[in-house]
Amino acid sequence: MVRNFRHAFIGAIVMVAGLGASAAGADIRIGINVPLTGFAATDGKSALEGAKLAVAQANAKGGVNGEKIELVVYDDQASPKEASPVATKLVEKDKVVGGVSGSYSGSTRAAAAIFQSAKVPYVVAYAIHPDITLAGDYMFRVSAMGEVQGRAGAKLVSTLGKKNVVLVTIKNDFGQALAAGFKDAAPKLGLTIIKEYEYGLQDRQFGALISALKADNPEIIYASGYFYTAGPLVSQLRAAGITAPIIGQEGYDSDKFIEIAGAAAEGTLITTSLDRDSTAPATKAFLAEFPKAAGFGADMVAASTYTATSVLIDGLRKTGGKGGEALKNALAAGKYETPIGNLSFNDLHEVNKDVQVQVVKDKAFRRHSVISDPVLLAAPTKAK
Amino acid sequence: MLVLELIAQGLIQGSIYALIALGLTLVYGLLRILHVAHAALFTLGAYVGMLAADRTGSLVAGFAISMVVCGLAGVAMFRLCYQPLLKQPPYVALIASIGLYIAAEETFRIVFGPASLSYRSLPLQGQIAFFGGLQFKEAELLVVAGTALIIGVLGYLQTRTRIGVACQATVSDPQMAESFGISLRNVRDLNFFVGSALAGFAGVWVGMLNNMVEPTMGSVASYKALAIIVLGGLGSVRGTLLAALVLGVVESFGTIYLGKFLDRNAIAFAFLILVLMVRPQGLFGKG
Repeated sequence: MVRNFRHAFIGAIVMVAGLGASAAGADIRIGINVPLTGFAATDGKSALEGAKLAVAQANAKGGVNGEKIELVVYDDQASPKEASPVATKLVEKDKVVGGVSGSYSGSTRAAAAIFQSAKVPYVVAYAIHPDITLAGDYMFRVSAMGEVQGRAGAKLVSTLGKKNVVLVTIKNDFGQALAAGFKDAAPKLGLTIIKEYEYGLQDRQFGALISALKADNPEIIYASGYFYTAGPLVSQLRAAGITAPIIGQEGYDSDKFIEIAGAAAEGTLITTSLDRDSTAPATKAFLAEFPKAAGFGADMVAASTYTATSVLIDGLRKTGGKGGEALKNALAAGKYETPIGNLSFNDLHEVNKDVQVQVVKDKAFRRHSVISDPVLLAAPTKAK
Repeated sequence: MLVLELIAQGLIQGSIYALIALGLTLVYGLLRILHVAHAALFTLGAYVGMLAADRTGSLVAGFAISMVVCGLAGVAMFRLCYQPLLKQPPYVALIASIGLYIAAEETFRIVFGPASLSYRSLPLQGQIAFFGGLQFKEAELLVVAGTALIIGVLGYLQTRTRIGVACQATVSDPQMAESFGISLRNVRDLNFFVGSALAGFAGVWVGMLNNMVEPTMGSVASYKALAIIVLGGLGSVRGTLLAALVLGVVESFGTIYLGKFLDRNAIAFAFLILVLMVRPQGLFGKG
């Protein structure tokens, strides 16, 4: 009699504890890895603010089926070495139902493998290396891949009527993917790549490179980098007397680029996904809301991380907060209206969309044109 | 002429290296400490110089304030971090120095924010043209001239003034120097002050050349300066200077012609290894 009572008592306690635990863990947890320290900290901050805005807006509207969304944030320093333990923590310790990458390609690749094997959907904001979606079908990417952007760059050169190009490539996943895409499309568009130069992520002074580039006398320059390398690069190019137009990419897409390069930034073209002059409601709303929440202007990194987070939350709404295969299928089937365009995923979970071309005019990014070429800009599919 | 331009760019870069490495070599020569945290003073100099120049509107004030602040910070580093460790084996100070650099980098990020800072109105951007199609920014020419001037002045002070000779004596034979009434503490403080002020000076220039001051800007300098003093021959001031200039020129040519295979830092270290294989004591080290 006493033994049965004791068993029942223990059983009751366990049940109550179990209920208590699940009630305490009722928040829907999504994880994000961003570089908050290290060389990429500025981008990380921007990305995090984008994600936080998406979560705040969703929670204001009641969260997912009445449950609040919690954003679990880890700093990965944009380093693959740091990203692996971060991803493991998110998946095993925090047990997130979905993940967002607000970081660079190197770190995202490392994290992707972990999310894939844990079958936790991972929505990538702006890391553009092709291997990321090749990690498996739980990966989703809301930005155009590096090669697609590179091809768009070549198309832009051709649209501007130029033929002789010099490539300046940053030596990392990002730069190399862009250069590969550019070189792939260039012969088809009749462009000639006179020379290609490469520089390292930590370079800030490009004296030698610029001297050699000047001797090449290109009609146009396609230079990849981030605002902290592109800012000095563009400034030094113009100071050396090089007047050829410069085409950058979304790495330049930050007000910091204009601040660093100053007057030299005027006229720089970039291929990106955020159109400052957009008439689309999702974009306009984001451009208005973000500065209020974050305290600084929106850039591509913020917009794409906001988008990635919103897409994930959208999927969670459809599955009622469940993760795993149900979430994966919901994400794959969705159609999304986002600040970076109307998105839907192909079978490789890449997006097909137009590329925005912005130009620096009067110290701000303004719309220059839109590159809309579904054939040229087609994202790779599983078949390839 | 491309070759001339590449040499000129190499000398400009080399001058900046020289300013940073010189402080490091002074410290090594005096105390046999590999002062990795020296690069933190480079970054501090860039921040202080930019903020001072923007607030006061005067670039000269920016330089002066920056050099004084860095000099004092360097002395503080010595007193608080290295002096207590003088009796320990040298690797203890090295590890402490690395830790100090990491802490400094994070402190800059916390105090000034992770985003880079830029000048409100960037000075010395005018162009000066030379024969042969060479064109330089005023700031680029001035950094080379400034470096040459400072090194000339230091060289003079070191050999022709009492204090300079006292410093040299302290390096060669500290006990004998002390018995002659030279205050070891004063000499050491002065050494750190001068070396750190030079790092700050370099920092202001780089901040101006790039119009960008960020917390991690000293990271390459922290280990490259070590490579330079090894290349020049540990403890040799003349060796350090020449090694810095030579390295600048080697990087300049290397990044253009070998850029596909090696990046700038790889080229620098490959060059260091090659030299050491031929001359293990460095370019001007005492065999």
